[in-house]
Amino acid sequence: MSSITVTHLQKTFKAKRKAAGLGGSLRALVRPVYVSVEAVRGLSFEMETGELLGFIGPNGAGKSTTIKILTGILHPSSGEASVLGFTPWKDRQKLAYHIGTVFGQRQQLWVHLPAVDTFRLFGRIYELDDRDVERRIAFLSEAFEIGDLLETPVRKLSLGQRMRCEVAASLLHRPKLLLLDEPSIGLDVVAKQHIRDAIRRMNQEEGVGVLLTSHDAGDLEAMCKRVIIINHGQIVYEDKVSNLKRKHLSSKMVEVRYAETVSSDFHLDGVEMLKVGHYGVKLRFDTQRTPVQQVLARLTEAGDVVDITISDPPLEEVIARIYQEANPS
Amino acid sequence: MRNLQLLSALWKANLQSAMEYRAAFLTQVIFMMLNNLAYFMFWVLYFDKFNSVRGWTLQDMMLLFAVAATAWGIAAYFFGNFTTLSEIISLGRLDYYLSLPRPVLLHALASRSLGSGMGDLIYGVGSYFLSGYVSVDGFLRFLVGVAVGVAIFLSFLTLVQSLSFWLGNSTAISQLALSALLTFSLYPRSLFDGAAKFILLTIIPASLIGSIPAEFVKSFSWPVLLQLLASSAFLLTASTWVFYRGLRRYESGNSMQVEV
Repeated sequence: MSSITVTHLQKTFKAKRKAAGLGGSLRALVRPVYVSVEAVRGLSFEMETGELLGFIGPNGAGKSTTIKILTGILHPSSGEASVLGFTPWKDRQKLAYHIGTVFGQRQQLWVHLPAVDTFRLFGRIYELDDRDVERRIAFLSEAFEIGDLLETPVRKLSLGQRMRCEVAASLLHRPKLLLLDEPSIGLDVVAKQHIRDAIRRMNQEEGVGVLLTSHDAGDLEAMCKRVIIINHGQIVYEDKVSNLKRKHLSSKMVEVRYAETVSSDFHLDGVEMLKVGHYGVKLRFDTQRTPVQQVLARLTEAGDVVDITISDPPLEEVIARIYQEANPS
Repeated sequence: MRNLQLLSALWKANLQSAMEYRAAFLTQVIFMMLNNLAYFMFWVLYFDKFNSVRGWTLQDMMLLFAVAATAWGIAAYFFGNFTTLSEIISLGRLDYYLSLPRPVLLHALASRSLGSGMGDLIYGVGSYFLSGYVSVDGFLRFLVGVAVGVAIFLSFLTLVQSLSFWLGNSTAISQLALSALLTFSLYPRSLFDGAAKFILLTIIPASLIGSIPAEFVKSFSWPVLLQLLASSAFLLTASTWVFYRGLRRYESGNSMQVEV
């Protein structure tokens, strides 16, 4: 059964265009020029109940606009959407009782109050029973490991701590569907992992469906079963995450810094050397052909390692590759 | 009833926020009371030289100030976002309220409390008890007058600030409208004639906040009561309608936060 059905969704914004400087401002005052910006262009997709769906793409791809249409914040220019049987922009209030939303750039917790006070306020907003709210707070504080943070004013929490509280707050009313817009933006590795683990747990234990937008391929690998990649408001790829990983996310990039200088002809078999500096190297390799363990062993054998960073290729690169494969000419 | 529960929860949260900064809150309250007192001193000095101005005495002016300051105080303390709505709209900060299952306008207005409003409220009630028009039925009429004033402040400013849905940013025009409404609400309407009198009942309905409610507190009149109730009901309906019409044009933004 589908929890989200989207058909030919379109959103066009009207933006004022003006030349730089005072002259441009004066000309725009006399004769304003408007351009249409198509944020979402004919998007169609479905999401099953309880599914973990990744909705990824680079900045400006239309991810947030789509999420805002699906929560009823924005009206689309055309097209249809059904979320848990509701048309979001017509039944916004009814839908809001059944979904949770988290925007990475949004602060829904009251900044001057301890998070637990906002949790209780949300209990009132969602019209929950007081005792049920307290039980739910106890459960969420254990699931998100925020028990010792709840009494601290939100302004004094770190970004990672705050985001854990934000996601927990969005689950207070037991939503059937969680819409997460860049929940890991700006977080360090440990904070990201905390949030990913808790979201996976809520999906397994309560069957909460999760639509996750991100421009971090790591979020996708860690949480989602299926992925939709959009760019310029259109779907460019739709498949299982396992297939995406096999086809497009199999390479890793490694940056190593050594205590001693590195030979300029530094070389490893099965690895593409991107940069060789005086004290470090940057390389890329395919994990399906060359195991990670093997590369790391050879890198540590080569010298006294001071620092090492392993990362996925940027999503922009993955999307460019998908485009090339779809349009070989 | 459901909306009253929402309002009481928001007011409780606002009070908790204010208590986090008790000294700042008390300072705002005290300085606003002193500010009002200093402003009223002008009329004390005036009435020291003259007995009345177009039929209005010092007691009448105290009553007018009492109604207007109490109405402003209640609006500012309990619906503090009513002065910043245009900014919230133009910067795309309604998203928070739109993602929660409650009426957007009511939720947005009541999510902030201006501490100085409590100073106005205390000053206004104090001014009423010093005005010489204290009686049980007079106090009930004072409450009606204040309720009308609150409704006019909230609805007129919501109406003007909802222009941001169409104009993009109406912060400047909203500030002008706010200043005009507040300033003219503190003068007796008998000072104005002809077109000015008409404007202060319609385009800038300042007379409905200060002068007419003060006259109503002094002596009951069915036509005046009906005028006050009908005007506030009309403005409340019109402002809510315009806000929700505009909301369809809302374009959101990325700086999302609760406006507390």
